Amino acid sequence: MADEEKCKQCHGCKKPARWREDFPVQWEKDEYVTRREMVKFLSLGSLLIAGANLIAAAVPRFQSRGEFPRVRIASSHQIAADGSLLFRYPTDEDPCLLVRNRKGELVGYSQVCTHLSCAIVHRPEENTLFCPCHHGYFSVEEGRPTAGPPTRSLPRIKLEQTGDDIFAVGIGI
Amino acid sequence: MNRQQQGTTLFTALLALVGVGVVVQLWLLSASVDAIFRHDAATPLHAAIGSAVLFLVNGALLLYLFAFDERVRRR
Repeated sequence: MADEEKCKQCHGCKKPARWREDFPVQWEKDEYVTRREMVKFLSLGSLLIAGANLIAAAVPRFQSRGEFPRVRIASSHQIAADGSLLFRYPTDEDPCLLVRNRKGELVGYSQVCTHLSCAIVHRPEENTLFCPCHHGYFSVEEGRPTAGPPTRSLPRIKLEQTGDDIFAVGIGI
Repeated sequence: MNRQQQGTTLFTALLALVGVGVVVQLWLLSASVDAIFRHDAATPLHAAIGSAVLFLVNGALLLYLFAFDERVRRR
């Protein structure tokens, strides 16, 4: 090791090399982390994580609420029993699915799977919403995951019907 | 057990406690982020309260460490 390097001018003497006198850093000791230092480091990390948690708690309070547009998406007669229709809401980059369930009610969901964001499809013969990427299943009635890897429900699109026209008015959980 | 051995055990336990606290805080943070993505506002608030409590516990342990060192130095 470098620490054991001996003086080269007088062989045999136990003095450290000359350059060591100018740079008296003990590298091995320098790299050694004591438990005290580790506790201090972890406490600082704890402070940073607590701060990040506070920011995470504040984020939903600053997110926009109730500012979804009211968009006409279809006419009621366009969707037959057990039928479905694709639409985009609230922006053109948010694909959604309008489904008439077996009770005859219209329900809207985001088409983005809550597992890894693949597009889900309606399977009327099984009365489910199916994600073909990893075989995730969601219930048509509530959007809850019923099988496969997804654990979270599909975001639900709030709908309103005025006469024959169906409007998307917001997004719920 | 002599005083030094006691100190060693004490600081190892202290380090383990603080380490576990930080791991739990990280778990709370990941749960918060997950909740934000599913538009759930209640979970991040509770997670933040839990995280703050854990930070206070960790801070108290750190203060205890400083006080312990100070006491040893005075002897």
